[in-house]
Formats: sequence, structure tokens, C-alpha cells
Amino acid sequence: MPPSTLAADAGTLRLRRNTMLWALTAMALFLVSTLLGLFLRLFQGNAFPAVEPVWFYSSLTLHAIIMVGAWFLGSMAGVHYLLARYVQPSSTASELAMGGSVAGVVLIAISTLLGKFGVGWYFLFPLPLYPNGVWLPWATAVFFAGLAILAVFWLIWVLDLLRAIARRYSLSVALGWHILRGAKEPEVPPLVLITTVSLVVVTAALVAAALVLLLFLLHWSGRARVDALLMKNLTFLFGHIIVNITLYLGVAILYEMLPAFAGRPWKTSKLVAIAWNAVLLLVLFAYLHHLYMDFAQPRWVQVAGQTASYFLSLPAAAVTIFGVLALIYRSGFRWTMASRLLVCGVLGWVIGGIAAVIDATVAVNSVFHNTLWVPAHFHTYYLMGVVLMVLAFFDHLSRELTRPDTDVRAAGWTLVLLLAGGYGFLAMFYYGGATSVPRRFATYPEETLQGVIQARVAAAFVVVLFGTLAVYLSRVAARCLRAFADCRNAS
Amino acid sequence: MIPQYKALFAFLIITIAATATFHWVMRNTGNRKPLNPEAVSKLRGRFAITCTLLLVAALALTLPHFPYPRGSEIPDKVVFVAAKQFAFGLSEAPIANDAQWEAASQGPAVRIPANRLVEFRVTSLDVNHGFGVYSPGGTLLAQTQAMPGYVNRLRLRLRNPGRYPVLCMELCGMEHHSMRGVFEVIPADKD
Repeated sequence: MPPSTLAADAGTLRLRRNTMLWALTAMALFLVSTLLGLFLRLFQGNAFPAVEPVWFYSSLTLHAIIMVGAWFLGSMAGVHYLLARYVQPSSTASELAMGGSVAGVVLIAISTLLGKFGVGWYFLFPLPLYPNGVWLPWATAVFFAGLAILAVFWLIWVLDLLRAIARRYSLSVALGWHILRGAKEPEVPPLVLITTVSLVVVTAALVAAALVLLLFLLHWSGRARVDALLMKNLTFLFGHIIVNITLYLGVAILYEMLPAFAGRPWKTSKLVAIAWNAVLLLVLFAYLHHLYMDFAQPRWVQVAGQTASYFLSLPAAAVTIFGVLALIYRSGFRWTMASRLLVCGVLGWVIGGIAAVIDATVAVNSVFHNTLWVPAHFHTYYLMGVVLMVLAFFDHLSRELTRPDTDVRAAGWTLVLLLAGGYGFLAMFYYGGATSVPRRFATYPEETLQGVIQARVAAAFVVVLFGTLAVYLSRVAARCLRAFADCRNAS
Repeated sequence: MIPQYKALFAFLIITIAATATFHWVMRNTGNRKPLNPEAVSKLRGRFAITCTLLLVAALALTLPHFPYPRGSEIPDKVVFVAAKQFAFGLSEAPIANDAQWEAASQGPAVRIPANRLVEFRVTSLDVNHGFGVYSPGGTLLAQTQAMPGYVNRLRLRLRNPGRYPVLCMELCGMEHHSMRGVFEVIPADKD
């Protein structure tokens, strides 16, 4: 009997099958999106002089939406699987989210690739309503329909996980408020605490997204005049949070997985509870750093934005990152591909976080906003952070369910090439930001021609990254497919 | 040194320190030994206090350098800026409609005296744009968003004469990368 079906009831088999399907989906979307990213950097390196810029902007839109969606869903799948150790989330909600996500992504792909809809992944108001003859109104409608489907089905999944948590713990216990008051019982695993914090915030973000869509429709239909600054606030409240929380869901996975490799427990202490409740509050205001260059925002709001963005880093540094290092130090740590990915993911989070805090300084943002420094920092904590953490989960679970031989030397080389390709690609973004190269330019004007060379160098590193990922992910995917087939046959 | 390089060096120094710490800990994960919880707690406390002090110091040092206009300052000159797909119109007179924007974006470059405080009143006639002022050498000096329905006031004192290009810093459509404007800084005695 294969390990994936050992001692498993029908519910567990369904959970494993769904998780393997999510892993396969997230990894496939990731590879497609990485290829789109390679196309974007080659385009900026003037590799396709005969291709119209419209293809750059529509590919940019699709690249970002796929990347954000794939890893939000990947981390949700990881958290869902691990949460099932403590609570009973519904597999149906996960399956609905899968169906909704496929439908949403297909519609968005149609609007961008066939409809040439290229407004960036956060579709800043009122740009989608100014097609300038490049895209037709149907492309805008299909794009919004795709987004609405994603928002609805993701919200269903998020609310179901919260329901499952609340059923066993109650939300105040899951948020560790009894621990803040000095009680030690009932014990709440960090996974439950962090997931609850994340999902509460994601709910706010998805409601903001729904409001943005509604206001767009009202404006489009001529029933209301919508304020551009209000829309910008709502858009970044949604956009910043969904990216930020994807990272925190990855951290929730980290808290659950790392103790098994270190052989030491990681419990919800009072400090951990304080830290994550502080995150719950601060993360709602951190998005304001996206609006520093909107001078019309009140000055006190800008002060609040810098303060929240700065102090959001404190619980991460003093509790989680310090906690990771203390947990593994002299622990007899078991180094596997998964545990290496986890620790490297934390380092990526740290490096991206440092760059983010620097950019969250208003005085610095004045010369970094919407330069390549911005994709530099979010690609760091995404690509070299949460992606590695979630891949660690997929790698570990797929090995656990299939028990393959482990080639330690191959794993080491894979990691070296992943990091070399990833950080080489990122270095060009950082250097581009420091040399004033604007982001999201299909081609560079004479003032910033250094961006062309940087894009070519970056593209070479992306080739290394993509090649390594293709080989590594195909191995993980083969194990996921085997485990998926075993679970399906057994059920 | 330009502020971008200062930020890059600060980033590199902190990143190298963090990576070295990770590397050291990762090399010391063998030889299982129980940790002294009190020592860990004390170290964590010191680390948290250090981080807090650094953040508070960074706030105190940087908040006074906000780029937003101060009420106490009176600009020496006002330049009106209207952004529209895909050009910036700059003028010494207000720009209220498409015809005025077209004249401003295609007319001669606005001239600004060096070393004088100039206020750019930036708005948009269609979508969001970013008004990014570059030096003649291609360094981003300052920026503000150009938003429909709002006027953002960016104040600058430019010392070196020359032609200053303006690039769009917010994705605004299919010709975003080619959207630009220009103004000229002239020696103050020629004003």
C-alpha cells in the first residue's frame, strides 16, 4: 500500500488529493508566470524590437496576477492541510476555490492575451476605463468578471477556514487574547494564531476589493462620480494586504514545520501572541506607504503610514526571525531540501523586509517610488521568501506521501542554482532602482538606458532560475502526481 | 553622494550583516545542546530594544525631510502641470482643458530660475500619472502623482542650469514609457 493511503480515511484522502492538486496548480502557474517574467525582462532589454509594447503591458498584468494568485492559493493550500491537524476545514470550500480560481484565471488570461488589456495587476482607477483604442470594452468587462469570481471564491475559502477555527477555539482564543491576559490554557498552536490573524485581515482586503469593483461599475455606468484618491486607498488596502498576508501564511507554515526539523517545540508564548496581534493592527495601515507620493493625502496619514510600516517589521524581527535562529541553533537540525528551503525563505523575507523598510521612508520613497527598487523588494520576499517556504511544504509533503530516495547532493546543487539565479535577477532590480530606472517601462528612454543592460543581465539569471526550477519542480510534481493518483485510486 | 546610493549602501550593509548572522547560525545547528531560556530571552530583549531604537532614530531623522509643502514657505515661482495620455503640459498659466494642455505640452519649455523655490501644481486630465523630475544626467530628483480631481504641490529648488526631463512614474497606458515633459533651469541672473 502506498504511504499516501496508509491509515487514511476518506476525508484524509480527499484532503491529500486536494493538496496535491493545489501543489501541481501553483507550481504550473509559477513556471508559466516565470516565463512571462523572462519575456518582460527580454522586452526591456530590446530583444523584441518588432513587437508592440501592448504585449509587454498585457503580459505584465497577467504575470503579476498569476504570481500573486498562485502563491496566495499555494500558501492557503498549505495552511489548510496543516490546520486539519487541529480543526476540520471543509474540503468542499477548497474545491470550490479551485474551480473559481481556474475560471477566474482563464477569464483574466483571455482579457489580457486576447483582449490586450494591460493596466497592471492592481488596475488603478480610472485607467481600465481609458482603453485609448488598444483594448475593447469587453476586455475590461471580462477582466473584472475574472477578478470578481476570484474574490468571491477566495472569500468562501477564507471564511470557511475561519469557521473551522472558530468552531474549536473561538476567535478570541485563536487570536491568543486569553494568553495576553495571562492565561496559559487552552493552548493555541502558532499555526492557528497566525492563520487567524492572516485570514481576518484577508477578509478586510477582499471586502475592499469588492468595493473597488463595485465603485468601478458605478462610475462606468455613469451612476456615480468616484473619487480617485479613495479608489487608490481601497486598491492598495486590498493589493498590499493580499501580498503581505501570502507571506504571513507562508510564515504560519514555517512555524508548524520547522520544529519537526529542529526537534524543539515552538509554542504560542505571550510574546508570540503580542507580536501577531500587533501585526493584526499594523498591517491594516502599512499599505499607506504606497500613497506617499499622493501629496493630497493628509500629512498625519503619511506619518501614520511610515510609523506603521516601520513597526510592522519589529514583531517579525524580534519574535519570528529571532525565534527561527534560536530554534535551529545547536538543535541537531535535520537538513533536508525542505528545511533548507524554509531557512533560506526566512533569509529572503529578511532581505526583502530591509529593502521594504528603506522604501517605506517617505524621504527615500521620493526617489525610489515606482523605480525598479519596488519590484526588487517585493520580488525578494516573494520569490526568495514565501515561494521557498511554500515549496518546502510541497516538497516535504510529497516526499512524505511517496517516500522517495533523497539525493542530498542534488538537493544542494538545486538550492545553489536557485539562489544564484534568484538573487542575480534581483540584484539587477536593486541596482536599477538605485540608478533611477523606472518600473513598468516597456522600453527605456535615453535618460535611463542603463536599464537595457540591467534587463539583459537579469534575463540571463532568470534563464538559470527557470532551468533549475523546471528540473526541480518536475521532480516534485512527479511525486505529487503519484500521491494524487494513489489517493484517488484508494478513495 | 545621491540619496539613492546612500540607501543602497545602507541596504547592503544591513543585508550583509543579516546574511552573515544566518550563515553563522546555519553552521552551528549541529551538536545538539539545550539552550538556556534566560540567556535567549535576554538576547532577544537586547535585539528588540536595538531594533526599536534604530527605528525610532530613523523616524526622528527622516520625518523632518518630508517632501510635502510647508505653509511657512512661499514659492518664488509657480508652474502648472497637467498630465494626459501621453504627455505632460507645463505652463506658467493654469491648464484647464485639452486645448491648453496641448499648447503647453507642445510649446517651448518653461524656464525656471536656478536656486529659487519653485512650486509645481500637478494634476491629471484623465488617469493617474507620476510626475518624475530627472536631472539632466538622468538621476531621479523628486516626484509626485498626477491625479484626476486633485492638485499635488511639489516644491523644488534646483541649483544647476540645464534641461530637466520629466518621465511618467505611474503606469498610464500603452505609451506610458514614452510619456514625457521638459523644463529648463536657467541661471538666476538671466530670469
